[in-house]
Amino acid sequence: MAGQIHLPTAPSALSASAVLPVAAAERAPVNLSAFLVLGVLAIAVPLAANTLWLKVATGVMIYSLTAMSIAVLYRRLGLVSLTHVALMGCGGWVVLRLAHGFDTPFEVNLLCGGLGAGLAGTALAWPALRMRGLYLALVTLMAAGAYAILINVTQFPNGGDGWLGVAVRAVAFMPRPWIALSDQAYFVYCCGIVALGYALIGWHEATRAGRGWAMIRRSEAAAMSVGVNVTLYKVWGFALSGFLAGIAGGLLAGDLQFLDARSFPAAESVMIFALTIVGGAWHWYGALIAAALYRLAPAILNNAGVDGNAAYIFFGLALIQALATAPKGIAGQIAGLLDRLARRGSQG
Amino acid sequence: MIEIDRLSVVFGGIHALNRVTVTLMAPVSGIIGPNGAGKTTFLNVLSGFVRPAEGSVRMDGLELLALPPHARARAGLRRSFQREQVVDEMSVEDNVRVVLDPIRLSRAERARLLDRALDYCGLTAVRRERAERLNACERRMTELARTIVGSPQLVLLDEPGAGLSQGEVERLRQVIAGIHAFAGAQTLLIDHDVELIQAVCQDTMVLDFGMLIAAGPTADVLRDARVRAVYLGMEEGTA
Repeated sequence: MAGQIHLPTAPSALSASAVLPVAAAERAPVNLSAFLVLGVLAIAVPLAANTLWLKVATGVMIYSLTAMSIAVLYRRLGLVSLTHVALMGCGGWVVLRLAHGFDTPFEVNLLCGGLGAGLAGTALAWPALRMRGLYLALVTLMAAGAYAILINVTQFPNGGDGWLGVAVRAVAFMPRPWIALSDQAYFVYCCGIVALGYALIGWHEATRAGRGWAMIRRSEAAAMSVGVNVTLYKVWGFALSGFLAGIAGGLLAGDLQFLDARSFPAAESVMIFALTIVGGAWHWYGALIAAALYRLAPAILNNAGVDGNAAYIFFGLALIQALATAPKGIAGQIAGLLDRLARRGSQG
Repeated sequence: MIEIDRLSVVFGGIHALNRVTVTLMAPVSGIIGPNGAGKTTFLNVLSGFVRPAEGSVRMDGLELLALPPHARARAGLRRSFQREQVVDEMSVEDNVRVVLDPIRLSRAERARLLDRALDYCGLTAVRRERAERLNACERRMTELARTIVGSPQLVLLDEPGAGLSQGEVERLRQVIAGIHAFAGAQTLLIDHDVELIQAVCQDTMVLDFGMLIAAGPTADVLRDARVRAVYLGMEEGTA
């Protein structure tokens, strides 16, 4: 009785479409092309860009890590978090505090910054267990607002005394890692960390965590019915997302060698989330597109003599366009185009 | 063996289940009843999605109501849903593998169990395809493979034949009828297709307005005058 059951010969979606190529970018969240693109950027940008554009490109790399941390929550768990710039701030604070207070290596500080923000992200998972959608977004936005107030009161460590490490007069700058002292080397360093971020997410999504998250996104009831501990997996997702945002915050601190509390308002979390949707949360290069929109577009406008803030108008229009016509964002449209080209190529 | 004792569920003063007491021992047991009779609520209580007002549910001696839903699944309780819950962006084998993830198994054993379940449900050829490319029957089979992979003790199927053609229902019938031989699990099947129930269920229970109105061998239950009146819409004496 336990033999194989042959499926009926009813019209199969597979029989019709098996010959059609799946969009390569959708086959896996991260693939080798991500590392290839990062490798090309790591070589080309330091050679081609001047100091100004190198700074902008480093910002793009750093914020792509933030965008991918937002995307993993949204893509896998369907959760909206509007607090990731605050989580960057948490990571940056830990990195600066350790660097100024204990003189520990940058990599150790970075890891601790990620873990600190991961812990903060885990705390955010608590409301996520009870709510989702608009209510969760509002709670996370409130958390970002609370962080902005707190950090404006305490400020970021800058070599001062005491637990907070804030100096009023003799401000110290945080040293960069010894292998990346120059702007060029630091850009390459950031590319490497972003590649590791992609690898970490790719590993999660391809294994048990990714499958559990996908089930939760489909339906929490279905997830529980296959043995997925929804509480644990949501906490896990928030911890990973917070960890990556914290690493991005640490890289930002390393780039500027200090952090300004005024750079972490709650509104920036909303902006980076919106751009993650516009860029495309479902494809690996969506995070790079989101970060390019966030850092590169204003710089290009400024360079052209237009106020960079005008980019925000375009971002608003792009968000409306994404929500109305391209739910998978610009990256989804690019993937669709590549898919169509591949089909045409295979037919021709 | 499933022992259900005085199981009651109340929604805002309405008894969705009213002191249902039944022991199910057959390899495949059917649950039938008119719409709103409490069939899906019954499965939801067993799965842990609805908390009963009173009663107990024991699966091979294990008190299920004391466990959270995911722990019940790990204890061997599996289910499918009226609306299938296959994840489009995952491959067929990942949709099934997810059940084995929380269970401690060697890699070889995990692969063996997965291969066996996919093979049994006729999904080997499409195991690496994304689920969004499957037709309705293949999606149902993927969900069924999920319920039988590993070591299930009790499989709950909520209208698995909904939306399938006659030929596909026949294939489904073969799979369901073979679950006990394949995995050693008991199956509880909800379906409005009385022919399917007759074909695969040794025992059947009938719910009406949350009350158990009949339980026993399927043939006897379907001949029961009260069952024919409330569910099959036939008066006594009609063929």
